[in-house]
Amino acid sequence: MEFSPDTPWQKVLDAVRRWARINSPWAIHYNSGSCNGCDIEILATLTPRYDLERFGVKLQGSPRHADILICTGPVTRQSRERLLRIYEQMPDPKFVVAVGSCGLSGGAFRGCYNIVGDISEVVPVDVFIPGCPPRPEAIIFGMVKLLESLKKGKAEVATVSEGAHA
Amino acid sequence: MNNLTVHPLIALLLFPGGLFLLGGGLLYEWIDRKLVARFQNRLGPRWFQPLADLVKLLAKEEITPQGVNRALFFILPVIALASALTSALYVPIAGFVPASSFRGDLIVTLYLLSVLTLCLGLAGANTMNRFALIGATRTLTQLFSYEAPFLLALLGPAIVTKSWQIMTINYYAQQHTWMAITQPIGFVVALVGLMGKLELPPFDAPEAETEIVAGAMTEYSGRGLALFHLGKNVELFIGLTMVAAFYLGGLANPLEFLAKTLGLLVVLTVLQSLFARLRIDQTVGLWWRAGALLALVQLVVVFLLR
Repeated sequence: MEFSPDTPWQKVLDAVRRWARINSPWAIHYNSGSCNGCDIEILATLTPRYDLERFGVKLQGSPRHADILICTGPVTRQSRERLLRIYEQMPDPKFVVAVGSCGLSGGAFRGCYNIVGDISEVVPVDVFIPGCPPRPEAIIFGMVKLLESLKKGKAEVATVSEGAHA
Repeated sequence: MNNLTVHPLIALLLFPGGLFLLGGGLLYEWIDRKLVARFQNRLGPRWFQPLADLVKLLAKEEITPQGVNRALFFILPVIALASALTSALYVPIAGFVPASSFRGDLIVTLYLLSVLTLCLGLAGANTMNRFALIGATRTLTQLFSYEAPFLLALLGPAIVTKSWQIMTINYYAQQHTWMAITQPIGFVVALVGLMGKLELPPFDAPEAETEIVAGAMTEYSGRGLALFHLGKNVELFIGLTMVAAFYLGGLANPLEFLAKTLGLLVVLTVLQSLFARLRIDQTVGLWWRAGALLALVQLVVVFLLR
């Protein structure tokens, strides 16, 4: 997708690739120092009640298999290197979703001596999902926003508002 | 009750060999995932999900990790898929006559089906990743445990037929009562052996996500992962065909093929949702203490009553 001469063949290929990318987002989940509240909500999102598999989302164990890094919490000094390493291990094209107030701004931990800052200071973030913790509906809404922005080409930075799921 | 025949070139590229097999594999993966989802009270994936996964993986970047043998890393997924596709030539896919057939092709097919597992083990051992190494060890351990009982279970029908040719066994099965009824123990061992071969739960210790990340495939991304997945889907398709042809009264036409293989697939998904994962030592114990013994008893009975 980086170089696309405007041949019809290339356009068809791009369309097929984009279709597959939108319909099969495999996720990996990383906690870079959150209080576990957001992680519980993410796991709740993956349970049969909300069933993200109907959008094609599958939780993967290995970063090599994943397309979307779902990251929670502020980034502590210790986990900064790990977060970077996991991000580097993912094959392109890859996207990052920051879940929870701490991931957006540092939240309650902002300014602590052991905090680097929010997630976007370490890796580029595509979607921010606020909330402390965000409800599963909000997380699903954020994922759908990311997939919608993929349709337009490069993912725009999108913010999901708190009342969006209501 | 005669089988239909097709032109060899079409057989290789289109009908039982190439595109049909890939499409069938993807379709059966979707049915498998959808049924498991419904048993878990979920909606489950959409019908094109396996295809979208495949195209996405093929379009993704492939990372070659440090410390691997590059040629081996590149070629192993190709060999795995190729061997799975080749084995389809000897099997009565969709009730048609196998594209190629000779005396003893049963053994060749079984070995071709094992090559995929062997490639998986080698792929895991090739990378420096510790999770991949443990996964590879478990994959090969499981290969040694289920392979013998599975082979013995498929030998039962072969001995009754007095032929090692899949086509002949298929004809024989069509003309006699279902061997699932005359040889029930062999049928159960073959069915459970197929689950072990495909690393479906409860035999998914080699790729246990909660313990060893993704097993032997941990370091694979993009193309390699896609080809391994596809190879496994094709093997599911062929394995179901073989067990149905041997034990469920043969495959004479496409309709019969669909009904029998889908029926087997439903049984497999029920077993998948019912049981929790076995530890690798429990898997080995189950196969050698129960599986192999049961298959041997079945063989002895077949010999005595023949």
